[in-house]
Amino acid sequence: MNHIAKIAVVILFTCSIGSVNAQNAKGKKGTFALTNATLETITNGTVSKGSLLISEGKIKAIGTSVSVPDGAEIIDCSGLTIYPGMIDGGTRLGLTEVGSDARTRDFSEIGDVIPQVQALTAINPNSVLIPVTRVSGVTTSLSVPSGGLFSGTAALVHLHGYTPNQMYAGFKGVVLNFPSTGRRGRFDRRTDEEIKKASDKSLKNLKDTWAKVVEYHKIDSAIKAAASKEQLDYYPEMEVLLPVLRGETPLLLEVNTAKDIQAALDWVENKNLRVVFTGVSEGWRMAKELAEAKVPVITGPVLSRPTRDYDRYDRPYANAGIMHEAGVKVAIRTSGAENVRNLPYNAGFAATYGMGKEEALKAITIVPAEIFGLQNEIGSLETGKIANIVVTDGDIFETKTQVKHVFINGWQIPMESRHTKLYDEFLERSPGLKK
Amino acid sequence: MEELISIHYRKFRTVLFLLFLFPLSSWAQDVDLAPVTGTYAIHNVIIKKAPGVTVESGTVVIKDGVISAVGKNIIIPADAHIIQADSMYLYAGFISGLSHTGIPTPKEDKKEKVKDPGNPPPDRAGIQPQRKVNTMLDPRDKSISNLRKIGFTSAHVVPHGGMLPGQGALILLTGNSPDQMIYKNEFSLFSQLKGAQRMYPSTVIGVMAKYRDLYGKAVQSKGYQLRYNSNPQGMIRPEKLAVEEAFYSVIDKKIPVTFVAEKVLDIQRVLTLQSELGFSLMLAEIKQGWDLTTKLKNADAKVFLSLDLPEVKEEKEDSSALNTSKKKTAVDLEKEALEKRKKEAIQQSYGQPAIFKNNSISFGFSTMEAKTSAIQSTLRKFLDYGMTEDDLLAALTTHPARLLGVSNVMGTIDPGKIANLFISDRSYFQEGAHVKYVFVDGTLYSYDQKKEKKTETEEKVKVGGNWSYSSETPDGTVTGKIKVKESEGGYEGTISNSFSGQTKDLSDISVEGNQWMFSFKLNIEGNEVTIEFNVAIEEDMFEGTMSAGEFGSFEVEGQKDPEDK
Amino acid sequence: MTKNIVTTFLLLLTIQVYGQQKGSVLIKNGTLLTITDGVKEKTDILVKEGKISKIGVDLKVPSGIKVIDATDMHVMPGIIDAHSHIGLDAINEATSPVTAEVFTGDAVNPLDVSIYRALAGGVTISHAMHGSANAIGGQSETIKHRYGTIDPDEMKMSNAPRTIKFALGENPTRVHGSGNGILPRTRMGVEEVFRSSFSQARQYMKKWDKYNAEKKQKGFKGMSPRYDLRLETLADILKGEIIIHCHSYRADEIYMLMNVSRDFGIKRLVFQHVNEGFKVAPELAEFGAMASVFSDWWAYKFEVYYSTAYNATILARNGVVTSINSDSGELIRHLYHEAAKTQKYGGLSDVEALSMITLNPAKQLGIDDRVGSLEVGKEADIAIFKNHPLSIYAIPMITLVDGIIEFDLENDADDMRIYVDPEEKIEVTLAVSDHETDRCMQDTDFLFKQ
Repeated sequence: MNHIAKIAVVILFTCSIGSVNAQNAKGKKGTFALTNATLETITNGTVSKGSLLISEGKIKAIGTSVSVPDGAEIIDCSGLTIYPGMIDGGTRLGLTEVGSDARTRDFSEIGDVIPQVQALTAINPNSVLIPVTRVSGVTTSLSVPSGGLFSGTAALVHLHGYTPNQMYAGFKGVVLNFPSTGRRGRFDRRTDEEIKKASDKSLKNLKDTWAKVVEYHKIDSAIKAAASKEQLDYYPEMEVLLPVLRGETPLLLEVNTAKDIQAALDWVENKNLRVVFTGVSEGWRMAKELAEAKVPVITGPVLSRPTRDYDRYDRPYANAGIMHEAGVKVAIRTSGAENVRNLPYNAGFAATYGMGKEEALKAITIVPAEIFGLQNEIGSLETGKIANIVVTDGDIFETKTQVKHVFINGWQIPMESRHTKLYDEFLERSPGLKK
Repeated sequence: MEELISIHYRKFRTVLFLLFLFPLSSWAQDVDLAPVTGTYAIHNVIIKKAPGVTVESGTVVIKDGVISAVGKNIIIPADAHIIQADSMYLYAGFISGLSHTGIPTPKEDKKEKVKDPGNPPPDRAGIQPQRKVNTMLDPRDKSISNLRKIGFTSAHVVPHGGMLPGQGALILLTGNSPDQMIYKNEFSLFSQLKGAQRMYPSTVIGVMAKYRDLYGKAVQSKGYQLRYNSNPQGMIRPEKLAVEEAFYSVIDKKIPVTFVAEKVLDIQRVLTLQSELGFSLMLAEIKQGWDLTTKLKNADAKVFLSLDLPEVKEEKEDSSALNTSKKKTAVDLEKEALEKRKKEAIQQSYGQPAIFKNNSISFGFSTMEAKTSAIQSTLRKFLDYGMTEDDLLAALTTHPARLLGVSNVMGTIDPGKIANLFISDRSYFQEGAHVKYVFVDGTLYSYDQKKEKKTETEEKVKVGGNWSYSSETPDGTVTGKIKVKESEGGYEGTISNSFSGQTKDLSDISVEGNQWMFSFKLNIEGNEVTIEFNVAIEEDMFEGTMSAGEFGSFEVEGQKDPEDK
Repeated sequence: MTKNIVTTFLLLLTIQVYGQQKGSVLIKNGTLLTITDGVKEKTDILVKEGKISKIGVDLKVPSGIKVIDATDMHVMPGIIDAHSHIGLDAINEATSPVTAEVFTGDAVNPLDVSIYRALAGGVTISHAMHGSANAIGGQSETIKHRYGTIDPDEMKMSNAPRTIKFALGENPTRVHGSGNGILPRTRMGVEEVFRSSFSQARQYMKKWDKYNAEKKQKGFKGMSPRYDLRLETLADILKGEIIIHCHSYRADEIYMLMNVSRDFGIKRLVFQHVNEGFKVAPELAEFGAMASVFSDWWAYKFEVYYSTAYNATILARNGVVTSINSDSGELIRHLYHEAAKTQKYGGLSDVEALSMITLNPAKQLGIDDRVGSLEVGKEADIAIFKNHPLSIYAIPMITLVDGIIEFDLENDADDMRIYVDPEEKIEVTLAVSDHETDRCMQDTDFLFKQ
């Protein structure tokens, strides 16, 4: 690099610090050596006084004998712990900005059967909520559309990038709101009969829709088998549901009450779908059945109220642990948007109420990675995996723990967000009381 | 079916038969022949003179509406119409502590939106304490004959409405005009913890605050009025304030405040108001008061328990399931525990009268919410939960008479009391007992069971005609007309509603026994919603539910409009 | 069969309990987080008749007293929530911009199982507030979580100061201005509501003073001012008898209410939510106004879009008495965890963090002389935790109110409802709603329907 160019870089750099940033400082790509750290690898135990090398977006090396290449930026992590980036298995992050403002809500489209609408399209890479989330160590989030029967297609994204494609993490799933016999909220005043009726109607709708998918599949197969020139008519929803039926596209089946879980298990039986149950707030009532059916579960929020007045007060805390104990593969989600950053606390409560620290940590790292089929890319500290890295000064679940560094796809993330910036500006306001 | 005995029955049988095909309300008008005598003798009857006092095979003589003689060896006057009541039972007429008997649900017209919901006109906010029932009573209203038919002869009745619907009256369940029916007007100030729709006061906290405010204002204006009356010279003439004046006799404790309060918390809220404001209190429709006996006693409240109780499902004793060696899962155990608590809750509801009795509270019953046709069996059920027949009789006669301050004229079968009586073919609280004759204020009504059976077994009720309905929804009372006519083996019709003013066609009209179902589509905020009616018809009234999908389901009641001819 | 029913039934009768109960108990060998006097390891607390009577090492066990072994446990004052709506049957009388006369104490629902769930999170007192639909909302009740009674009066914390809810910003302007076309539709209008209401109340007080002075004169013929419960209440605010708790978000409106208060001589002011309180922290401190905030809620509406989770820390560092509240039947179950977030966002000390859910809310409710710390003479509202309450691994074990054990993890039943609906369908359950509804605005939905 010649001299002038060097000066230009320096000027650019200082400007970007000095100017008022509309958003955030830029991420930084390069080779980073995180040294002297405790490594929570998830899949290979804990390594003390170890190092981790990040290069070209990947974890290049990990362990106690990592050689740091020339030019690598060394970050001394003495006394710090390194975790893989946390993965939230269900959010609205990027799909909503200001909760009460419909103009900023993009998670619920009109229509009952619209699996073809894509969350990835509507994720706002510049949402103010995203930096707030990632500086707490959540690096990856499944953004999920809702409403209707087939709500749309959810997308897994890493929380850094300027276009949806840059953020896309390689997993999509079609969302099915399984017909519910529960009340929608405490102020749902429908009678039991009405709820049943609505649920039956929805179930019929599901069956009718599915029958069409089956037919579409038969026709499509027949055309293909005969190498016929006939073409299928344009049915956008069928085009998306067909690979679901064939077990190619995962189905994220949202279901919560015990009765509905049973109904959903009955529905998926013998269909050979690649199905994941989400929500599953009463999974503790159906843990055995879920385990037997070998259906993986993404549950949460853990920090929520019991679904029934007569339920023990800690059921939502204990739910994930009870299911895990029974042999269900359980990941944890927040279902949030602005406070997806509380994912470690949701897992922490699950840990405290029966799941245990180790399993709860897996439930926000390697388990969701496995559920998404990305166990070779994310969810643990292993050589060759995407460098989604969180460095903390303590137990990642503990509330007071500070996140010191975050890397996403190997990019060093500036540790700032609207919240930190307002803190910096206002802790000691200037001017203070006097003008 | 009931008719006045004074009619020469046979002659009119054909006429009656024809009339029966038509709505009954039009029939009652036709019967205007006066009885040929005002003297009656009920002979050889088991007289339940008062709770615990029975006269076997005695005679009761009624003269011009008053009981003139009771006992054995009574000489029957020559002008008496004799009712031979061998081995039948004679009771004092029952008294209902509170209801809307005789007062039809008002038809609510679509009203203009209140401009300032924080300060609505009092009547829109349900504040109409100056109203009296004599302008509302309809002697032909079916609720009167329905209640009379099961032995009730008098009732404390109050207007429909919001927090202060008006003043109650004690009425006799007979007469052709409100004035004839009313025994005592301005009998109580009726109050409810019921908010107005979309205007102040809309919640229980608003209602209680408003109540305190009104009461305080009334105390103040009454004081000034008193000063003014004693020497008006030099004083500003007080404003005429109908709402506040309605409180004056309450403040003087000349009349009680009658509150409807079903649930444990509402009852205590009313007691809070009472202890702050100091009025005498009558509490009715109590459904959940078993833990409050001490509080109620301390408040010296007059108490009427509800006869509207939860349904008891007769359980099948499944001993095989109990003894099964199969290990119960956590879910089974949970379900068992829940069922047990639910059962206990039902037991508490039915045990309530006995608890009140054991805590020596004399209480009556109120019939506002109860389905009239279920009252007799509900009363019978209390016998399984610690009440005796005499306890029940007291709660239906002597206690309410005393609580309502009319013991001198009602409540027992004694000479000098108003001839409010009824005859049951067997002990009233026994399975299968039927009321055969009812005297109200000396007027005799008789019932022919066979004919009634016939109507019950009639395959399908006819729904053709014009009906008025009303339903309480969270958005207010909705009313409207249902017009139905027969067409090719079925029905067709329309329905209107006071919310939108839209009139819609009915579809899927079906009638099974006395169950009437139909649906229609309504446009609510741009969504097409199917509303389903499912009601049970009893004579020319109906009760049931109106379901509006996710908007919920609401109770609906209605009655057939008299046919104009 | 019949007999059976009667006997089971009579057994049920004996449950009636009356009168506020006070307990005596010895809590042995715990780690006491006293708030006002540091941390005391292996120390006992003796509770007599509902009050803390002794704190010390190896206290003698009085005969006949219950002993709780708190070895390896953390013992802290009962958690206090300065902003809650649990245990209430009605929250908003949303029909008028001014409803000072209404009182949530009238709607207290001791049967609400949320109260038990709060106890299971160590919360012993909550401020059962009116909602935020009106600029001047209703008076609010401070309740003690004496779960198990059916008597609303038993829930009330006797002699707690009166409080009233005010509200600024989007809620009152949306309900009344946009909803009904009456003032206020803007933040200008909200100020106008306060100023005109207080001015009317002032006038009302003057009229009464005049009347009371003149009526003693002989031959007095005058008419008294017309009694008005609303104006009576507003007058009591001006007299300093009621603490204002004001729902607020933006810095400008917070500043406005301080100005209005100054002009009318009002001194007792607590801001609720105060999401932008951090922007006017020096002014809040100077006024002596207090702040009760969310740990990290933001972005659910526009006026909280420019928020920071560091709010509590900035306020505290600027000398504002600050508490963390729930405003939610969910959050109230883990306020100890919410308080710990002040350590993540700003690094507050343990005492500072714990004060935010004990002594500071007590100050805001005017009950800090009775509760909020472990001190001899204070009421025995105590929460016992396994692990430090600010740790994510904390588990509330036992919660006492007035020395009575109200929650006991080891011994309580699963189903803690007091009354059961005899007509309930056991199969039907409540699905989790997507997002916690804003209880602050409960009972106001109907205003937006047409």
